[in-house]
Amino acid sequence: MSIQPVPETAQEAPALLQPVRGKGPVGGRRPLWLMWPSVALLVLIIGVPFLIAFYISFLDLDQYTLRSWIHAPWVGLSNYVTALTAGNVVGASTLTSLGISVAFSLLTTLLITPIGILAALTVNTEYRGRTIVRALYLVPYVLPTFVTALVWRMMFLNKTGLVDRFLAGIHVANINTYWLLGPNSFWAMVITDVWASWAFIYIMVLAGLQSIPAELYEAADVDGANAWQKLTRIVLPQLRHILGLALLLSTLNHFNNFTLPFVMFGTPPPVQADVLPLNIYVSSFQLFSFGLGGAMSVITLIIMLIPGFLYIRTLRLGETAA
Amino acid sequence: MTKSKHRNSQELLSPPVRIVATIVLAVFALIPIIYTLLLSVTPDSEVGGDNLLPSHWAFDNYVQMWTTVNLAGGLLNSLIISGIASMIAVILAVGAGYVITRFKFHGRQPYLYSLIGLQTVPGVMLLLPLFVLFASLQALLHVRLVGTYQAVIITYLTFALPFATWLMVSYLGSIPVDLEEAALVDGATRLQALWHVIVPLALPGVVVGLVFSFLTGWNDVLFASVLTSPETRTIAVQLQAFSAAQEGGSLPLYGQLMGAATVSALPVVILYMIFQRYLIGGLTAGGVKG
Repeated sequence: MSIQPVPETAQEAPALLQPVRGKGPVGGRRPLWLMWPSVALLVLIIGVPFLIAFYISFLDLDQYTLRSWIHAPWVGLSNYVTALTAGNVVGASTLTSLGISVAFSLLTTLLITPIGILAALTVNTEYRGRTIVRALYLVPYVLPTFVTALVWRMMFLNKTGLVDRFLAGIHVANINTYWLLGPNSFWAMVITDVWASWAFIYIMVLAGLQSIPAELYEAADVDGANAWQKLTRIVLPQLRHILGLALLLSTLNHFNNFTLPFVMFGTPPPVQADVLPLNIYVSSFQLFSFGLGGAMSVITLIIMLIPGFLYIRTLRLGETAA
Repeated sequence: MTKSKHRNSQELLSPPVRIVATIVLAVFALIPIIYTLLLSVTPDSEVGGDNLLPSHWAFDNYVQMWTTVNLAGGLLNSLIISGIASMIAVILAVGAGYVITRFKFHGRQPYLYSLIGLQTVPGVMLLLPLFVLFASLQALLHVRLVGTYQAVIITYLTFALPFATWLMVSYLGSIPVDLEEAALVDGATRLQALWHVIVPLALPGVVVGLVFSFLTGWNDVLFASVLTSPETRTIAVQLQAFSAAQEGGSLPLYGQLMGAATVSALPVVILYMIFQRYLIGGLTAGGVKG
């Protein structure tokens, strides 16, 4: 698979493995050593830490026992019990955080999908100024997340922020509405994330749209189909593969989004915005309950196996189709 | 005539609908950005005021902010850390990608799938044990690790290397082997063939790998907030700390904060605009950022 700019080609699900000749281009020794540095590094910085994360989830590890963590007291499953029932002292329990994270990642993905599709349709056909519109659509998406969070922190400022001014101006809400505290914080996070990430779906859908052969549209014209029928009978079915991949990736990315709530709300965050990555961070690095943080990480990892497995399966399907 | 008919038949939104939708989306996208730019030239004392528009343009914010917060230091640290991490990642990834696309060996497929699987692992899951590891190595070897460039660079490789490898696999796989075969027949060594034939051909991939790894490093807050010291703080952490410090203060320096945010976002936006063509391709292939 080659990666091409969107206007020319679209990406099918990446086909990773091309057929490979048994012995390489020309006989002789295979330079497998070229791979060793990266394999060794990955084992060292990912493999080993992974095992350590499992190990410390069974320890009573805090800032005092950290220096000789191998000798920290073994507490069995008690970190897991604490994680699931109580959580850390300032935040939600793992289960609550998990619920918030799942709701957040599914809801944002659900909201950005129609926006992204609509945006792709607005620039699918050529017209003057299309290049500018395309670049403009990307701006919120390419901003660093910490900048997005700062920007929307200002937008949501109580009384003086643009959101409160606007809502009061159209008499929808009191000007003194708190967005960065309490129950509204969840919605503030959702709105910000929708603003920042809809272009991801847009990019993927646009790539998919370019790959639909013109003949299909023309055939539909001959049959007298209207635009809505074309969209639902031709375009969306043709896009289902790339859209599936986009939705999966989007859910995964939103689930793992730490920066947005961290910068937007500070720590500890409002309980309603205490997503799982943030909860683990606060437990580990601000309350120094490393064991508890480890247990929460392991629980997260087990949950992430489900979409992770789906993701790899999607790519594998793409491979056989290619 | 046929050409325009083509276009019409692919047109799913009628022009009026399209124009309205474009305007709505553009306004939605731009309002927070315009608001940010507006605040960045508003005097700090007027940010909370009744009027949205400032009494005068305080371009002074863009001068003062460099002394209020160590912006230059943060930008430099981000440049060094993300730059070195992305270079290491891409160099190693070219080697690995070459072997993976050219040769069959045991564990090739599992290796690739584990690279993809790593995308689903939350960063905090790796940060925690790496921090514990660094802390205990520090005590054991009596060297400083937490707070150094090296520690942050190593942790950035946890996401940059798998991504860059995956990207190089897809780029190098599309380069026909005939070219390097010719070079090998002509007596070039494997490394020479890789350097003089493959890498120039895969240059777009190398650039995408470099730029993306660099940007993910630039955007990171999680790893840097734990592993940097005041001297090695990246721009992201610098700004986060600056923002947090505005709470409870007598006069929040929101104008300067927004100016600093603009300056730290600018390199990213410029990089994206320059490499837009390639980066969008890389995005649809990898989907790194969410």
